[in-house]
Amino acid sequence: MLEIRSARKVFYKGQADEKVALDGLSLSLATGEFGIVIGSNGAGKSSMLNAISGALILDSGQILINGADVTGMPVHKRAAKLARVFQDPMRGTAASMTVAENMLLADLRSSKRTLRQGLNATRLASYRERLSILGLGLENRLDTRVDLLSGGQRQSLSLIMAVGGSPDLLLLDEHTAALDPRTAEIVMRATVRAVNALKLTTLMVTHNMQHAVDYGSRVIMLDAGRVLLEVTGEEKARVTVLDLIGHFSVKTDRMLLAS
Amino acid sequence: MGFVQEILTSFVAIIPVTLAQSLILAFVVLGIMIPFRMLNFPDLTSEGAFPLGGCVCGVLLAAGVSPLAAIVVAFAAGFAAGCCTAFIHLRFRIHTLLAGILMMTMLYSINLRIMGKSNLSVFGSPAVFDWVPFARPGFPASKIVVAGLLALIAFALLYMFFRTEKGTAVRAVGANPDMAEAQGINVWAATIGGVGLASAFSASSGALMVQSQGFADVNMGLGILINGLAALMIGEAVVGKQTVWRQLLAPFAGAIIYYQLVSFCLAAGMPPPDLKLATGLFVLAMLALPSLKRGRGPAPAREAIRE
Repeated sequence: MLEIRSARKVFYKGQADEKVALDGLSLSLATGEFGIVIGSNGAGKSSMLNAISGALILDSGQILINGADVTGMPVHKRAAKLARVFQDPMRGTAASMTVAENMLLADLRSSKRTLRQGLNATRLASYRERLSILGLGLENRLDTRVDLLSGGQRQSLSLIMAVGGSPDLLLLDEHTAALDPRTAEIVMRATVRAVNALKLTTLMVTHNMQHAVDYGSRVIMLDAGRVLLEVTGEEKARVTVLDLIGHFSVKTDRMLLAS
Repeated sequence: MGFVQEILTSFVAIIPVTLAQSLILAFVVLGIMIPFRMLNFPDLTSEGAFPLGGCVCGVLLAAGVSPLAAIVVAFAAGFAAGCCTAFIHLRFRIHTLLAGILMMTMLYSINLRIMGKSNLSVFGSPAVFDWVPFARPGFPASKIVVAGLLALIAFALLYMFFRTEKGTAVRAVGANPDMAEAQGINVWAATIGGVGLASAFSASSGALMVQSQGFADVNMGLGILINGLAALMIGEAVVGKQTVWRQLLAPFAGAIIYYQLVSFCLAAGMPPPDLKLATGLFVLAMLALPSLKRGRGPAPAREAIRE
């Protein structure tokens, strides 16, 4: 489970362009819960995700993953507990390395890396099997450099890498936003399948209101660095795109288009 | 015809000497390749680490230390220098090239301090090359055997390392540091260790060179970087860099070819003072080639050494 206790982060403190990114944000997500985070640009969605992953160190507040305080832990230490898929397919994979090598890196995310040979027959077989679930033919391209794959293939690979090893927490940062509609659908379906099958505690940021309505067990709307609205249970089952849009203080074009 | 024959004769006569030299200098090329290609960390430390290794080795040989121990200490000194460069870059967010220049400038003073004077003759001191049986001392064959053997060992160990779990992690740091960090890899440790190891190779090369030529000089590193870079470019053009195997072979192949080319140019009558200009133009041409092929199109993808 994930717990954020009154997280606060201010950029450019004391300067003219001071910006409060997180303003006493509190949030808790039970084990196995699938939370969808929405909010206008600048609402603090990315800051929150960065704070959870460790890329952003909080000014005050606490972050707990499965009860363990990770507030001051560097990114590479937190990696043992969480996995993240970025919006940009380039960021989540090592371009100059092969598909198999990328899978290996993700495989070793939460274990100690040794001086034993990295890629062996057992591992390659398991990667082939895990990639075949996607139905993109990646299982036959284990030795292909990742920069030769399409954006959609790379993002699908990122997803398989992230859900492997069942992380305590999965962070999805608008991970289908940069893909064409058809590929986005494939990646989204694979995401839901993996999250349900492995019962992963998941936090997904999206600008797509339809996704917010269709998926997840809870919608969390952020505004000005704090939680503005939470929709769960029965209410979540009945919520519509228009309901959600009604809560936006700033309606951006992208959100209107999504409706 | 007589002219051409004369050039060829003088070139062929020094092929073994050049080969011995190039096998020793291959370690510098390796020390340039590892940060540049494996870690995406263009590094200039080798220009200071090479004479550092030389000076350390020279002083130790003069003090009667065994030549192998002298190389080991030089290796360690180079490692420390490389670690400093990586630390300066990581901690203070100073550009890798500037961090390297800072380190190489500071190393010049340190090298002078180590030797106490600008050059030191160790002629007649024992060298690792003397240990080859059945070879007359001083004859290049023993140098070729020893340096070649060391190169083979370094190549095999590195190749095995980069295939291990740890080695794959180090390569990931060069390929995508953000992703590496998100996969639980300690980017600091990998960068400091990798750049340190590279400088350790450069320093070992300096130590071998001192044992080969019989003297140490604080200026022995002058221009070594651009020579090494030229050798690396040739090596990559000949054997490629698509796989770890090829990327690791490139420094050795490149060093051997490059120094034979230089020797041929000198035999053909090129004045030695022009050598650095020629090498510089060659490296420039190799770096410029991709952009010339592309034409003046849209902005090309950023490459580490051309920014």
